[in-house]
Amino acid sequence: MSDSKENILDPQQWVERYGDYLFNYAVVRVNDSGKAEDLVQETFLAALKARDRFRGDSAERTWLTSILKRKIIDTYRKKYSSKEFAFGEHEDTIFDGDFYRSEEPFKGHWLEGKGPNSYTLLPEGELEQEELMRFINLCIENLQPQLASAFIMRMIDEEDSDTICKELGITPSNLWVMLHRARLKMRDCLEKHWLK
Amino acid sequence: MAKAPNRLIVFMSKRMIACDEASFLISVREDRRLGFRRWWQLKMHLLSCHLCRKYARQVGELRYTMEVYREGCSHESCTHHLSPAAGSRIGEELSRELKAK
Repeated sequence: MSDSKENILDPQQWVERYGDYLFNYAVVRVNDSGKAEDLVQETFLAALKARDRFRGDSAERTWLTSILKRKIIDTYRKKYSSKEFAFGEHEDTIFDGDFYRSEEPFKGHWLEGKGPNSYTLLPEGELEQEELMRFINLCIENLQPQLASAFIMRMIDEEDSDTICKELGITPSNLWVMLHRARLKMRDCLEKHWLK
Repeated sequence: MAKAPNRLIVFMSKRMIACDEASFLISVREDRRLGFRRWWQLKMHLLSCHLCRKYARQVGELRYTMEVYREGCSHESCTHHLSPAAGSRIGEELSRELKAK
């Protein structure tokens, strides 16, 4: 237990001190600023309730972030179980008719225009940070929610596959296929935006 | 003797993979090590397929891009900010909750 000032909770100043940080953390992961604002608010309210349990052995921001992280994973899980989304019968196969040819003898070859066109995915010269953010946001939005959840957990949170499978309630082979499809779509989407 | 190369070709071609499997392996390779057989199949495919070679390169670039994206938003200087309206709304909500206690 530490009595140092930084470790004493002060909800009044939370918004001012951590609002932007938490909002950033959330918006990168849920890709929706309205949703991110709600999550920040829920995090503060949950933290207020759990205030007595704050042990003060981690920084306030770390503690708040861990609460927010839980909430974000919960939204992924909700999206994952939503009925509006059907993964289709190919859930466990790598074949995807949107990207590969299905007729013999060219079965499994890239469809015209669906394979990589340019040698590089990155635009020439310095990468404009803001432009990059915008395109990535757009392309993640185009992913089905389940693919996006798995992709974000893997690429942004760098979670290992066991954790992702446990949180989303999927098998490792589901996960490999989902990450593969997410990469197919992200690559395709980013290349199209940058070629324009 | 003359049949040997044919048999070899048949043997090899049964183990050849198409672009769908190759691109899947390229993705899997990002997350874990491939077994020897899969690694070899991918290697052989990449030797003969320029599209999948490009794909492999671009998947690496995608990883890099996502890293830039993540880093860009983990610092205070990120482009996203909590809007003043949302900030004060959340502040009000918090103080209401505090008073209720």
